[in-house]
Order: sequence, then C-alpha cells, then structure tokens
Amino acid sequence: MVTILEVHDVKKSYRMGKLLVPALRGVSFNAEEGEFLTIFGPSGSGKSTLLHLIGCLDRPDEGEILIDGSDVLKLSDDKLAELRLTKIGFVFQFFNLLPRLSALRNVELPLTIAGVSERETSERAKEMLKLVGLEARMNHRPSELSGGEQQRVAMARALINNPKIVLADEPTGNLDTKTGWEIVQLMKKLNEEKGQTFVVVTHDPQIAETADRLIHLKDGLIEGIKEAPRGSSQ
Amino acid sequence: MKLSRILVMAWESMKQRKLRTSLTTLGVVIGITAVIGLASLGEGFRLEIRERMQQGFELDVLTVIPGSLFAGWRTPFKESEINEVRGVANVSVVTPVIQIGNVTLLNERSGNMTKAFVATAVNFTEFSQIFTDRFSNFESNIDGPEDWNNNSMVIGYKVNHPNMTTEAFAEAGDNVTITVNVIRPPYVRNYNLTVVATLIERPTGGLTNFDYWVFVPLELGREIFHETYDFYGGHLMFVKVQNPEYSETVARNIENLFAQYQISILVPLTFIRQVDRILTVVQIFLMAIASISLLVAGIGIMNIMTVSVMERTREIGILKAIGAKSRTVLTLFLSEAVLIGVIGGLIGVLTGYGLSFGLAYALSGFMQPQHQQDTIFQTPETQRIAIRPAFSPGWTMIAFVFAVAVCIIFGLYPARKAAKLDPVEALRYE
Repeated sequence: MVTILEVHDVKKSYRMGKLLVPALRGVSFNAEEGEFLTIFGPSGSGKSTLLHLIGCLDRPDEGEILIDGSDVLKLSDDKLAELRLTKIGFVFQFFNLLPRLSALRNVELPLTIAGVSERETSERAKEMLKLVGLEARMNHRPSELSGGEQQRVAMARALINNPKIVLADEPTGNLDTKTGWEIVQLMKKLNEEKGQTFVVVTHDPQIAETADRLIHLKDGLIEGIKEAPRGSSQ
Repeated sequence: MKLSRILVMAWESMKQRKLRTSLTTLGVVIGITAVIGLASLGEGFRLEIRERMQQGFELDVLTVIPGSLFAGWRTPFKESEINEVRGVANVSVVTPVIQIGNVTLLNERSGNMTKAFVATAVNFTEFSQIFTDRFSNFESNIDGPEDWNNNSMVIGYKVNHPNMTTEAFAEAGDNVTITVNVIRPPYVRNYNLTVVATLIERPTGGLTNFDYWVFVPLELGREIFHETYDFYGGHLMFVKVQNPEYSETVARNIENLFAQYQISILVPLTFIRQVDRILTVVQIFLMAIASISLLVAGIGIMNIMTVSVMERTREIGILKAIGAKSRTVLTLFLSEAVLIGVIGGLIGVLTGYGLSFGLAYALSGFMQPQHQQDTIFQTPETQRIAIRPAFSPGWTMIAFVFAVAVCIIFGLYPARKAAKLDPVEALRYE
C-alpha cells in the first residue's frame, strides 16, 4: 500500500474578532492509495477545516501535511494551486457549479485551467459525464438540473483531472436521503473503478459507516478511528 | 490557462450582465468620443486658421520698417540702405514704398471725386514680383506692370467702390487727377495720372490690405518727398526671400545691417508659428478636459468591477479550489476591463468621427455672420468659414490606447482584489 496522504499533528485556529478559536488541536492520520475514508463528527468538530487543509485551500498553523510526498507548508500559493489542479478533486455540499456554464463546460473547467487543448478537453469531459450517467443532460445549465444531477456534474468535474485524492465536503448534505445514497454509491463505484483515494466529510453516521476507515472527530481532536473489514461496507 | 480561453470566459461573463456591461462601455464610448471629437475638430480649426493666415500674409515677404514702436520712428530708408538689403543672402526682390497721406482723386471723365487714406508710391514691376498673388487680380488689365510708366496708377477695390457702391469710381483708361497736400508751397499739388488697372476684392484682409490703397509710381512719391521732406528712398520696404524657411535668418541679417539704429521687421512665419503654438496649447487643454470624461469612465469601471468581484466571490472561490492560480483570476477580471476598453474605444473612435463631422457642420453654419441685411458684414461664399475636422491617425491611436490603459488601471484594483481572495472564505461567501 502506498501512503498518499500524511497528516501529522495538525493545528489550526481561527480568529473571530479578538478571540482565537481553535478548530483543530493536533490531528494525525494517514490515507492509503485507493482508500475510502470518512471523517465523521458533529458540526463545529473541525471536519471542514481539516478537509480544507488537506485540499490545500488553507495552511495549518502547526504540523505537517504531505500529499503524494510534497509538504504543503513548504509550497508557494502557485504551487498549491497546481497541486489542487493536478492531484486533488473537490466535491462540495452546495455543488458549487458555475451557474452560467453548461454541465459540460463546468466539467471541462479544470482541463481548461490546465491549458489542455479544446478537443481533448471536450472529449474527456463527455466521457466523465457518461461515467456519472449524465451524458444526456450535458448541455443543461445547473439551474436546469436536480440536486442529485448537479452533484454528479460536480463529481465528474472533481475526477476529470484524474486526481490522486477526491475530497467531498458533506456531499449528501443538500440532497434527500435517496439521492444522497445514490451519490454515495456512485462515489464507492468510482473509488473501486478508478482506485482514487476518497476522503468524505459527513455528519451522517449511516454514510460514515460505509467507509473503509472512519475517523471520528470531536472538538478538533480525533476521538477514534474505526476500521471496517474490507468488503463489509457494500 | 490559455489567454484565448480566458478571453472567451471574460466575454461570456460580460454577456451575462448585458445592461451593466453596456452602461460601463458607454462611459468609455463617451470619453473617447469627446477626446476624438475635440482633437479632430481642434486640428481642423487650427488648419483653417493656418490657411486663413497664409492667405493674409505672404510667408516669403518681410516688411522692414525704420525705427520701432518703442524706440521711436526714424527717418525713412536711404537709397543706399535699400541697396544694402538687396545684397543680403537669399533675398530675391527688395522694393521700397513711399506713402503719401490723404489724397483726393478726381475722375476727369465722369467728374466723380473720392478720397484715399493713402497713396502708395511703388515700383510696379518689383511690387508685382513680390505680391505675385495679391497684386495680380486686375480688372481691365492694360498690358502688364512692366509696361506701366510714370503716369500710371492702380486703384484698390474699396477706394474704387466707396461705401460699398456697385458702381466703380474709375475704370482702366480713365484719367484721374490726384490732389496731395504738402507742407511746403505750393501746399496743394495736382498730378495727372492714367488708371491702368483696378484691383478686384480680396477674400481676406491680412497685414497690408490693398483694397484701401491707391498705387502711384515710385518716382512720383520721390518727387513729392524730395522736394518737401529732403528725403529719398522709402518709408518702408518689402523684402521677398527665396523660401519662407529663410525668412527668419534673412530678417536677422537685415537687422545686423542696421545695427546702429533700430528697425522693425515683420516676419509672418514667426507670427504664424506663434499663433500655431497658442492653438496647440488650446488644443491640448481641450483634450485634457475631454480626458476627464475618460477618467470618469474609468472610475465607473472600477465601481462596477468591484461590485462584480463581490457578487462573484463564490465563483472565484470555486475557480481557486479547482486549481486556478491567483494570476489566472487576475487575468480573467482584467480581461473584462480590457474588453470593455477595446470595445468602448472602437465604438468611441467611430462616434468621435461622427461627432466631429456633426459639430463641424453645425458650427460652420452657426459661425457665419448673422446679420445678412447689413451689407458691410456680408461674406462672399469663398470667404465663408468652413471647419473640416482633421483626423490624425496618431491622435486616434493615442486616444484608443489611453482608453484601454484607463480601463486596465482602474480594473487593476478590483482584479487584484479578486485574485487575492482567500479560497476558503470565498467558498463560504453567500
């Protein structure tokens, strides 16, 4: 097993007015290649903060985060952006698609930013949409799609660059239970087919339980890590 | 990210906010229209004035006057002094002029009388060589100036048509007696001359308006003054240079000849240059005022883009989260400003051209003398003021580049603001 993500004693505080609020107070864990990980905890436990740090959107105050061997703290803003572009895919609770672009154009976006040729971009995006079962609706704008469909588009966008790690922040939080489960199933399927590491933040214990490994976060500390025997989650 | 894709994205985002984009662009259009309109109109105005001044002043003719307004007028030039000026380099013709004040003219044929402020005694041949254009529009030409003799005279248009009458005082071939008052007896003297030509009206006045002049032979002038004022030579002289370019050097050399006492030389080129310089200053001033409207447009862009950055905070967060660098976000927003500048600039150049044509047309009609019933102000068709806008590609380019530059400068602040947004906060922004 290759370790793709290493988190060592990470601390992060936020300033709210004059008050310094600790969000993470020393978190350490690793993730292996192809692993499906969930971070579970109540709101305010620091799970979103942890995800932002892993996703290189923010830097820790203390500690060390290694993504595919590179130390996040030592990278410049531009290098971090490059890392996000090439090694990380994001899925958000509120889908975060660009409203004025069609589903296809939204999926193309990471490749467009990467400067990939228009033809290749278009081909790969269509392929991805097919993979998430949305090829029929690729010319629709987000406002013309249902929540589940929007989240599928977001997933296609997260995966199009073939990232090492896919980070999902409450991906089912804005969906009804049935659609939420469909999304979880899709993530599990992609995880198995493509072998990418998935880190999913959720406060839904049922979804958390589907993981290979469950990290239980509370008040900025890891309360426990629960390993599921391989195959039991299905 | 490729620049072409960035431009496409910027264009799409502008299309998304059509009204806002068009209003912002309108600001740039108005600014450029004002700059181009004023520049081309100002340039046309300058060309018109330059042309009019060249009509009024022969650029290659210097007027040399003894003494000066401040040092006092001295006695007229001596014949020897005039000959010295003839020897100055690059001088082609020099002719002295003697002026005889207040003469009365009596037409022997019709018995009509008229007065002239000044009778000017000239060498007809030399004079016509110097004022090739103005001393050539003769009516009823009897031979040429070379054939005229010491009994010939030429009458200016306004002397010949006193009080704007249509009937001429005299025609070529008439015998005219001119009466001159002098300070020695006999105090009143009469001379009989034959009219060889009458001048037709000149479109513009200028320094020496021949319309009010009566020309008599130089020898006659010398005869009158030699007897009365112990004088021989000329009250002033006209100097023609081979090329207007030499006029200032020639003027300096003539001044050096008269080092011991002051003379005045009117150099039209210097005068015209000065006027031209003043017009340039006025034009730059006008353009500076017009540029203010461009600056206002720039502030409009800054305002709109700042709002736009706030509205699109989340979008910026998403772009950054999926791997866009700060530079990419900066370029994206700056591209919108540049596109507004380019589009507004192009439209503005066209409307600026349109505006200056419209204004030129309106002004040309407006600026004609309004009281057409007063015959004295009546302007012949040829003399009507006609401002044609002059478009200089240079000014157009400068205005266009300025517009784009203003957009970039004012777009830079909001674009930087967008680029600097923290992705985590931007994603949280509602």
